[in-house]
Amino acid sequence: MLNPILSFSATRRMRSGKTLVILGAWLAVMLGTALLMMGRLLGPEVTVNGLRSGTNCYIVLMIVQFFLIVLISPAMTSGTVAGERERQTLELLLVTNTRSLRIVWGKAMDSFGMLCLLLVCGAPVMFLPAVAGAVTPLQVLEGELFLLVTAFAAVCVGMLASAVARTSMAGGILAYLFVFGIAVVTSLPLFLDYPQAVTDIVYDPRALAQLSPGAATAMIFPVLFLNPGYGLIALLHGQTRFLSSALQYQQTGRLLCSFNLMDRAGGERIALISSGAVLLLGLALLFLSAAFVRRRGFGGKRKG
Amino acid sequence: MLRLDKLTKQYGKFTALDGLSLEIADGQLHGFVGPNGAGKTTTMRIISTLLQPTSGTAEIDGVDVVRSGSKARKLIGYMPDFFGVYDSLKCWEYLDFYGRCYRLSAGERKQMADQLLDLVQLTEKRDAYVDSLSRGMKQRLCLARSLIHDPKLLILDEPASGMDPRARAEMKGILKTLRDMGKTVMISSHILPELSEMCDSLTILDHGHLVFSGSVEELSEKMNGNAPLDIRLQAGCGEETVERAVACLKELPFIREILQEETTLLRARLEGGEAETQQILRELVSRNIPVCDFHRAPMNLEKVFMEVTVDA
Repeated sequence: MLNPILSFSATRRMRSGKTLVILGAWLAVMLGTALLMMGRLLGPEVTVNGLRSGTNCYIVLMIVQFFLIVLISPAMTSGTVAGERERQTLELLLVTNTRSLRIVWGKAMDSFGMLCLLLVCGAPVMFLPAVAGAVTPLQVLEGELFLLVTAFAAVCVGMLASAVARTSMAGGILAYLFVFGIAVVTSLPLFLDYPQAVTDIVYDPRALAQLSPGAATAMIFPVLFLNPGYGLIALLHGQTRFLSSALQYQQTGRLLCSFNLMDRAGGERIALISSGAVLLLGLALLFLSAAFVRRRGFGGKRKG
Repeated sequence: MLRLDKLTKQYGKFTALDGLSLEIADGQLHGFVGPNGAGKTTTMRIISTLLQPTSGTAEIDGVDVVRSGSKARKLIGYMPDFFGVYDSLKCWEYLDFYGRCYRLSAGERKQMADQLLDLVQLTEKRDAYVDSLSRGMKQRLCLARSLIHDPKLLILDEPASGMDPRARAEMKGILKTLRDMGKTVMISSHILPELSEMCDSLTILDHGHLVFSGSVEELSEKMNGNAPLDIRLQAGCGEETVERAVACLKELPFIREILQEETTLLRARLEGGEAETQQILRELVSRNIPVCDFHRAPMNLEKVFMEVTVDA
């Protein structure tokens, strides 16, 4: 039987006019970005610059969608459990034999489903650079899958905030704080000094060239894999040589050290590992959310 | 059906429920009465597995609600004192959703939803959106929701609060029907007369303590013994006579309080039964006080409630 919370929440979501507005706004942003970036490609002549603009369009569309997902997901999810608590309907669910994990999963899948819908609706626009030959269809699919994983993780962060907060508004604020906190904590290694043994290799072009992708991967601070932003840069770098000009092996710098290792390890490989790590983090947050739903439910208000 | 044994709930240093012990037999309509903050909702939430007791046990049909919450939830239908509205949802969908939460099959859900909408007289509102219903209708729909999985014990927390008299009457009718169907119903209210009309037995709580538990008749009997004594003196007997009567009553050790309700009407509260009442009359007559009327003031349930909750 389909999770009742999911089907019920989805029914209500699709009956709301807000859904149509979000969908329209999403497509408007996607199409606007594509037209802005690919205007040259739509002209009568196909030039090298035009093809480059197709690649740039793909990169910008990926980045735009990534940030939209990170911005929309917490707002979309933070009111789910907190909203039930606010409406005083959470208790009615808890007295049924529905486990809190089932409640959280249903709510999360409802929000994730909405994000999937947005990504699917935007997919034709995403394939425009592929039609123009700037990227391959497989690369677009890889990008879409990466965004789906990011969307799932973002939903899970919002879900945790929703399970902890008493009101939707508090849940929203908490969700953005969580997103900001995770972004900061997982970005910190970019600004940390790598061990001397690592920097000796990274800043020596010959040594770096001999480094195997596996060894390069092992040298990257593991926390970085939990940062979907790092994963996105790695994916785009692997697919389109995004930021290649910045990767000058002879230069030094903490940021470049991480990028050089990423380049050596292979962008798509890093993106895959990052997706796996983010997926696991999301699942862990869901389990944590479920624990909070029951605990909060047990605490409840004292009335008489 | 329901057995509570020394049930206690503390919130920090505050004791919301203090060692409540209680038994409710199968098929009873049991009223749970007390002023605000008495511990009614706390008790009901513990029984409904929404709250963990600090100590003590609660069993439904032999199932411990703390240790076997999942089993207990199948036996309970809980209706809180609020109605959580989901917008964009029709009445039948609302019931269907909760039916799915209880893992009923599609056929069972449809059958139960139709039967319950009929029971709560909302069949014609089947396809209406929940948020378009009146308060009384929402309460009835909420009652139907609590019955969707055919529970043995119904826990209703102030189901008639905020309803107009007509809606209250309709709710009472439905509750009587449920009792006739063999359901055990535990219903709370802070209005004793409202419950006494339909309940088989009552529990009165005050400040987390059990004040009374038994049938309505037992409560009335018990409280009539504590009813105040109205003594009417002869009209125009004079202030001096009234003062003599008051002085005479004050001399009696079992008199707790004397109030002058009207010029010649005195109301005395006493500790004791018929022997003490006889002694009062004897004393008054022996001192030539012109007593015209002498009787225990009848206690209605509202007065009973005020008495027991003040004394606790």
